Amino acid sequence: MTLVSTPTATAPARESARTAKRRRGRRRPRVLIAITTLFFALLYLPIAVVALFSFNSQKSLTVFDGFSLRWYRAFAHDDVLIASLGTSLRISLVAMAGSVLLGVALALGLVRCRTRLGSLAGLIMLVPLITPEIVTGVASMLLFKGLGIPLSTFTVMLAEITFSISYVTVVLRSRVAALNPEVEEAAMDLGATRWQAVRLVTLPALLPAALASAVLIFALVFDDFVLAYFTTGVDPQPLSVRIYSAIRFGVQPTINAVGTLMLAGSIALIALALFIPRLFGRRGGLDLLSGE
Amino acid sequence: MDATPAVRLDGVSKQYADSYAVHHLDLDIESGHFFSLLGPSGCGKTTTLRMIGGFSDPTEGSVLLAGEDVTDLPPNKRNVNTVFQSYALFDHLGVADNVGFGLKRKGVPKTEIRKRVGEMLDLVQLGAFADRKPRTLSGGQRQRVALARALVNRPAVLLLDEPLAALDLKLRRQMQVELKQIQREVGVTFVFVTHDQDEALTMSDRIAVMHAGRVEQCGTPEDIYEHPSTGFVASFMGTSNLMTGTYRDGKVSLEKGPDLPVGTRTGISDGTAVSVSVRPEKVWLSDFEPGMAKLSGVIRETVYSGPTTTYLIELAPGVTLSVLEQNTARARMEDRWSGGETVEFAWRPEHCLVLA
Repeated sequence: MTLVSTPTATAPARESARTAKRRRGRRRPRVLIAITTLFFALLYLPIAVVALFSFNSQKSLTVFDGFSLRWYRAFAHDDVLIASLGTSLRISLVAMAGSVLLGVALALGLVRCRTRLGSLAGLIMLVPLITPEIVTGVASMLLFKGLGIPLSTFTVMLAEITFSISYVTVVLRSRVAALNPEVEEAAMDLGATRWQAVRLVTLPALLPAALASAVLIFALVFDDFVLAYFTTGVDPQPLSVRIYSAIRFGVQPTINAVGTLMLAGSIALIALALFIPRLFGRRGGLDLLSGE
Repeated sequence: MDATPAVRLDGVSKQYADSYAVHHLDLDIESGHFFSLLGPSGCGKTTTLRMIGGFSDPTEGSVLLAGEDVTDLPPNKRNVNTVFQSYALFDHLGVADNVGFGLKRKGVPKTEIRKRVGEMLDLVQLGAFADRKPRTLSGGQRQRVALARALVNRPAVLLLDEPLAALDLKLRRQMQVELKQIQREVGVTFVFVTHDQDEALTMSDRIAVMHAGRVEQCGTPEDIYEHPSTGFVASFMGTSNLMTGTYRDGKVSLEKGPDLPVGTRTGISDGTAVSVSVRPEKVWLSDFEPGMAKLSGVIRETVYSGPTTTYLIELAPGVTLSVLEQNTARARMEDRWSGGETVEFAWRPEHCLVLA
């Protein structure tokens, strides 16, 4: 009798305990939600306004009059802006390739070279990350002027590569450090020379992280204004510099369209950077973003 | 028997700053042998292996492979291959490409690579996994890939750096048997580094027990276990009940405790301070035979572990002896000795090991 009645007697009690727990779990941290919402509003509302007005059918920047692709068409027919877009893409591609090649090499060197000079280089490498960009920009300009190198798309490329190596190295250094040294030894054990071991085993292992940082660098350089502003010449200027000059003579809604396109492109690239490691079926692409 | 040893270490040392990882090592490893370097961590066994493989340069002495001095040759110029502790597989390559890596480096024609890789994968029972990526394999399978990748190159000597350490016990036992079978099948000299004395005993033709950068004893598994030449070897090779006392007239008087009958020992003079060791399985608790020396003590602890039971017997305050009994078909469940009981036990004096 007791055996049968016990479960039925305790069942309601257990039930109410469960609902109480659920209710407690459902109580929301309202203040935190409010702050978070405010944060995202402040961060993204201005951008959202730009994106919205890029589709405005009228020239007004305050009254939305109706949906149209007018300003996108205007951008497509603006030869100066299109030429600038080409310059920006060229700079980004070259800076990406250059900084990834040098950054991977630097990361390998910093991890493998365990001398005092090596650790000093590791610290110096971080300096560009904390130097105000305007300082780097002015310094680069003065350097080019002092060396008698005329400012051009080429000088922007050089400046951007210099600036970007640190990002690549920071991402890659932890990947290199996490490599199993026995793997390279195994390659040498199987008949590879030292260089072959690096080429056939180490570099493929670093490929996902290198690709991810390449995408990141492309996005950073493409958006960059400060360095580009100080180091560019008069040949079709990078897009960011071009937009800045245009705005000084009054804001054209075309700029909204360009801005929205750049934003969409950047988001796509960052998404790609996050996705690349998964493409290779493993973790550890963008350590900067994942915080690993 | 081949007169030239497969591996000869001639006065090899590895010195770091002010300490020796390996100290003046002389070692001959016979061709076709399964040779184990056994010792606790930090004893220099892995460093020794790395010097044979060419990953570490000796600070002194020379390394000879099949009579040829290879001390100054890099790893890729030595006819040895290594199975690394971490397996060190190439994760971006499939299993077949991992195994074929060495042959490809040597410029072996593609069709032959495919044939030899296939044969080798069959030997390690991974024929069905040729296209898999190493990361999708289990620990035991990865271990086999590492083995196949090294063996496919038909090295004169295969170096194995604790290859079974990462596997669970059951798999480890299974791989011990398999490794030994494969070694017999291919006839390659295996140099096997381990800290596990059971592993070394079950697999090896010869064992070198290392301690603090030196070889303490080198011999067959039976030699090493039954006739350890130093106290370190005796205590490292299983439980050994090491006690110290003074030898006199076939007995060892313990500092605090009874006299232990150890038999007359030639070569040890009376009054010499010695250590005595007797293996737990050489001490009997029942069915004594003539010629055994009897003693008595109090059972302090019984540890049941399936096929065997270990008893800790106190001879005198502070002097305990570990005794191993088989739980044979006899009704041991009932008459097993229990804690606090005073029991008689016995051993054959010649089974005692006396080290001066």
